[in-house]
Amino acid sequence: MDKLHLDQHISQQFNQELEDIRNRVLAMGGLVEQQVSNGLIALLENDGDLAEQVSKADYEVNAMEVEIDEECIQVLARRAPTASDLRLIVAVIKAITDLERIGDEAEKLGRFAAELSSSNQILEYRKELRHLGGLVRSMLQDSLDCFARLDAEAALKIAQRDDDVNAEYENLTRLLTTHLVEDPRRVTEILKITWCARALERIGDHSVNICEYVVYLVKGRDIRHTNIAADNHKNTSPKNDPNLT
Amino acid sequence: MSDAAKEAFDALKETVGRVTVDDPKMQAQNVDVFYGDKQAIYDVTLDVAKNEVVAMIGPSGCGKSTFLRCLNRMNDTIPSCKVTGDITLEGESLYSKDMDPVLLRARVGMVFQKPNPFAKSIYDNVAYGPKIHGLANNRAELDDIVESSLQRAGLFDEVKDRLTAPGTSLSGGQQQRLCIARTIAVSPEVILMDEPCSALDPIATARIEELIDELRENYAIAIVTHSMQQAARVSQRTAYFHLGKLVEVGETKRIFTNPSHELTENYITGRFG
Repeated sequence: MDKLHLDQHISQQFNQELEDIRNRVLAMGGLVEQQVSNGLIALLENDGDLAEQVSKADYEVNAMEVEIDEECIQVLARRAPTASDLRLIVAVIKAITDLERIGDEAEKLGRFAAELSSSNQILEYRKELRHLGGLVRSMLQDSLDCFARLDAEAALKIAQRDDDVNAEYENLTRLLTTHLVEDPRRVTEILKITWCARALERIGDHSVNICEYVVYLVKGRDIRHTNIAADNHKNTSPKNDPNLT
Repeated sequence: MSDAAKEAFDALKETVGRVTVDDPKMQAQNVDVFYGDKQAIYDVTLDVAKNEVVAMIGPSGCGKSTFLRCLNRMNDTIPSCKVTGDITLEGESLYSKDMDPVLLRARVGMVFQKPNPFAKSIYDNVAYGPKIHGLANNRAELDDIVESSLQRAGLFDEVKDRLTAPGTSLSGGQQQRLCIARTIAVSPEVILMDEPCSALDPIATARIEELIDELRENYAIAIVTHSMQQAARVSQRTAYFHLGKLVEVGETKRIFTNPSHELTENYITGRFG
């Protein structure tokens, strides 16, 4: 986050606080990425032990969210941050909520993976799940990366990749629905696989949110609920905005 | 100043953001101010809108108070001070020969950093201006002006039983509200405030800020403040001054969340710059 010049406040202590928050968010991102990765491996490799481990580690993610929130509240109360400092704190508070939700989805993956580990049903959908999981994992990884590098241009591009995730998810849902109709005896397993696919799709959505916070943090523009593709084309810096008031 | 900040300052040819408004009360155009050979203000153009609070912020010595004082010719009292450019009130030039500075200061009132009540009673502090400007025809009218001014300044209920007590017997926050009552007693069009809360505690400050917001319904207000939070709370537009230049002007809600100029950002976030 060098572009934010976090180390240039007159108050050294404030520099330290912001640096600390930044480091914790990056650490939390790393942990969540690991959780998603492990949950996916557990699911695809029928690894019951790893699935258990993912399920149990979710509390660490939750604890990090609470700690970072507390630090952000302290900064808001004591420093009354403005401009890029304020945007950083707001972006962090929002981003860690999404990270925590991603953690929950990873935990779900782990839980269903554990339950499905005794069944061979998953093998039939391994290819599709691997593909969907790969798309989502790289989206998450890249969105965390652009948060760390404050790269708003990259954020806009990454967010658009959610269309591919949604298309893949719909494909898989169609296959699973057909299977359900053809073989209702497998309803429990098919539903669990559907929920896994749904968890992966949701991780894609949360990654989009993180990208949106990066754009807000860097450019001061709120692009939520707008057409991101159109926004990407426009992509004007507020500094060059002729409508400055 | 850091090299980057110095570069940004030197490169600043004109103010960032819109300096004019659609419905101006006062307009300052290309104002330069000199104290002797030293230039304190460089080519500042800024409007003050009706029913608006415009906050002027910036580090010490940036020229914000100097600029504020130009708006009712307070700088006339400093012999070495020279003001060029044009400042108008409702289109009338402040510095033209026809403008009587005494009448001007009744139209453009000022509240100072330290409350400075006259060594008179609370009543006489407020009645003084209306008396010398002949705004009341009889005692009853004067009583009305004093009461309504104290009411609008949010002080009447606290002092109604002791209007003959000296103004200096009030607390700091009350004295400042007395000074505001004194200012509005002559029905000004614009009120200038130079750090009006810097000598007050948070409760008195909150009262004055509330008052500023109410006064905005009837007056145009320009306030100089060192408190960024105060500027953010009370103003609709914020102007950032730096070393005599007006760096950036904009809606307060934008300036404090997404300022455009690096120097503004550095100042409001407390960075070296």
